[in-house]
Amino acid sequence: MSWFSPRITTLPVALAVMLAGALAVAQSVTVQVAVGAVGTELQLHRQALDQFMADNPDIRVELLETPSGGTDRLGLYLQFFEARSADVDVLQIDVIWPGILEEHLVDLLQYGADAVVGEFFPGSIANNMLDGRLVAIPYQIGAGMLYYRTDLLEQYGFDGPPATWTELESMATVVMEGERAAGNPDMWGFVWQGNAYEGLTCNALEWFASSGAGEIIESDRTITVFNDAAIEVLEMAARWVGTISPVGVTGFVEDDARNLFQAGNAVFMRNWPYAYNLGQAEDSVIRGLFDVTVLPSGAPGEPNAATLGGQSFGVSAYSQHPEAAAKVALYLASLPVQTLRAVEGSFSGTIAALYDDPEVLERNPFFAGLQGIFASAVPRPSTVTGTDYGAVSRAYYTAVHDALTGRQDAETALALLELELESITGFPTGQP
Amino acid sequence: MSAGRPRQLAGGEARTAWWLMLPALVVMAIVAIYPLGQVVALSVTDARFATQRVERAYVGLDNYRRLLSLTVRELPPVVDPATGRQDLRDGRLRYESWVRILPREPLRYAAAYEFSAFGKRWVVGATSPAFIRAAVDTVVFTVWSVALETILGMIIALVLSAEFVGRGLLRTLMLLPWAVVTVVSARIWEWMLQPTRVGFFNTLLYDLGLGDGNIGFFQTASMQLPTMIAMDVWKTTPFMALLFLAGLAVIPKELYEAAEIDGASAVRRFTAITLPLMAPAIAVALIFRTLDALRVFDVFQVVLGGQRYSLASYTQAVLIDQREVGLSSAASVVIFLIILVFAVSYMRMLKVDTT
Repeated sequence: MSWFSPRITTLPVALAVMLAGALAVAQSVTVQVAVGAVGTELQLHRQALDQFMADNPDIRVELLETPSGGTDRLGLYLQFFEARSADVDVLQIDVIWPGILEEHLVDLLQYGADAVVGEFFPGSIANNMLDGRLVAIPYQIGAGMLYYRTDLLEQYGFDGPPATWTELESMATVVMEGERAAGNPDMWGFVWQGNAYEGLTCNALEWFASSGAGEIIESDRTITVFNDAAIEVLEMAARWVGTISPVGVTGFVEDDARNLFQAGNAVFMRNWPYAYNLGQAEDSVIRGLFDVTVLPSGAPGEPNAATLGGQSFGVSAYSQHPEAAAKVALYLASLPVQTLRAVEGSFSGTIAALYDDPEVLERNPFFAGLQGIFASAVPRPSTVTGTDYGAVSRAYYTAVHDALTGRQDAETALALLELELESITGFPTGQP
Repeated sequence: MSAGRPRQLAGGEARTAWWLMLPALVVMAIVAIYPLGQVVALSVTDARFATQRVERAYVGLDNYRRLLSLTVRELPPVVDPATGRQDLRDGRLRYESWVRILPREPLRYAAAYEFSAFGKRWVVGATSPAFIRAAVDTVVFTVWSVALETILGMIIALVLSAEFVGRGLLRTLMLLPWAVVTVVSARIWEWMLQPTRVGFFNTLLYDLGLGDGNIGFFQTASMQLPTMIAMDVWKTTPFMALLFLAGLAVIPKELYEAAEIDGASAVRRFTAITLPLMAPAIAVALIFRTLDALRVFDVFQVVLGGQRYSLASYTQAVLIDQREVGLSSAASVVIFLIILVFAVSYMRMLKVDTT
């Protein structure tokens, strides 16, 4: 029976250990953070959260990887919210989603955000304010930019990037044909995002807004998609497909365009700021050979337009630990984390002070010009359309895609789009 | 007495059978009939997804009307006022756009298809042209892929049923495409079919002197369905071959020996012995594959996204992007009915239900 006594003595010890463990579990809370995983995104979130957990031993943070496509991620969030799930506490939210998701998110002003909102770009905060409630804290701002090959433009005798779309078209043609004749049959003039998805809404909005063709639905709730300028600019873009842009551009998303540009096979690219650091990486063949600027305008007098993008963190209204979750969300949007993301990943943040930081500017020289690009930023009509935005955007990119692929001519596609937007939103139609 | 006993026995057996099937029936009711009833109930409402703000209302058959209304109208020719003759553009006769031809009230129609017949131009208008196109595309996809998979699967099964060294290895290798998760294989194909010379097929065809290295397999409308069908055939033929192999294995060898002695040719042996004896296996395989193909979602969603829909991916888009639970439920019910029609006609045609 000698084996019996040790068991008796270990039992109370084991119980005590278990009890202590249970108490520890009761004290610490676990916060689930749903994030995207495009490029270096996930790794940077993890790096920041490791620091957070070291500072806050009572909060455990777990990352939940979500689909990289925006539409798929939104679908997943909606399923969480439909089920009123407490499984996810903090959510990475796209700039167009506050209006869509607002009823499922807490007001962060009630959880300490009121002390910090003053540091943020007012536009980013305004985008996330609904009826006086701050439903998400913005941590990243983006806008469509024109990437161009400085070496090729110089070689073919151009003194700078194009100011108008027509200029872009003719410059792209010259360089593309020259490079092809010189032995690179894979050279293209202009790559962008033409697949039937939210990214096409962003691209097409830039063509429209920079050509006096309206901004889909204006802030005064007028539908302005059917006008001569819009038909003209859409016909122009349809002409690019198969000439300065590959036929496949109507299936491109961000990384398809970036892969082609980064392989040295395109003169111009429309993309978000994230492509800059990747293009300047050690192993990139275009390292030091490209620059970024504002996107062209329709005519010399017209404004430049860049579709506003960005990411925020919101806290689910169904969370069991809203205080801890809000603490995590506010931390992920704080200046130190934004600085880390800017230095390590060239992610442009939402706090003005970031753009004065010498370390940030040294790693990302193009940040100096970003303020100008953000100034020309055009928001998508997500606030005026609220929960209908998904349907509005789908109708818009489907019509544009139809025109690009030649399923319908631009005029028919836009005429139909106007009728469709009318029945989705009930707004009146008008001219921009 | 002697007549009553068997009847009693049969009655007893039937009762036992019902008792034995009861658990299965209960499970069926919970996992299949209840959710289906729920979908039917939702399909007559205007329910919205993930919001508590909007009251749900009964709307009768409105959702079905929005999905299924069709009309065919003639497109009048565009007449040049100067010459009094029909206008030409790029050498083609011009017709009025359907925008002003199709009705707008009470429901708005848009063109699903245009076609020429009897020397005139016609337009098929639909209240949900994307749904009608998705239905046609899905049926075309199903018919072609199942037909090709059946023929190729049969050939492979016949080859692999012959006895030769390495047969086991070949049978295992054959199953590889079927073992790959569809989402993964769809991504692999997407890579190989890239619209530039980054893609394997464009490089290969270019080097062979075919195409300009920029063939948009997924971007050119006329190539989308053939490409999807090819991907599905690659992936699912092994499954068909496997079912056919099982069917072949149960045919007694003596039949072939006897036929050979009687002097029947190989073709005759196939049509007189193999096909009739394999009919049950073929029927099962066809039903499985057809119903599967009609519900196709993953390849369409991964590769074509919003560019072109299958019935199932359209339903998902309506639910998630438009957040219309009612309309997408109605679409699901329509899919269910289409599948039901196929299933019942297979049962009838192949006499599966006669015992």
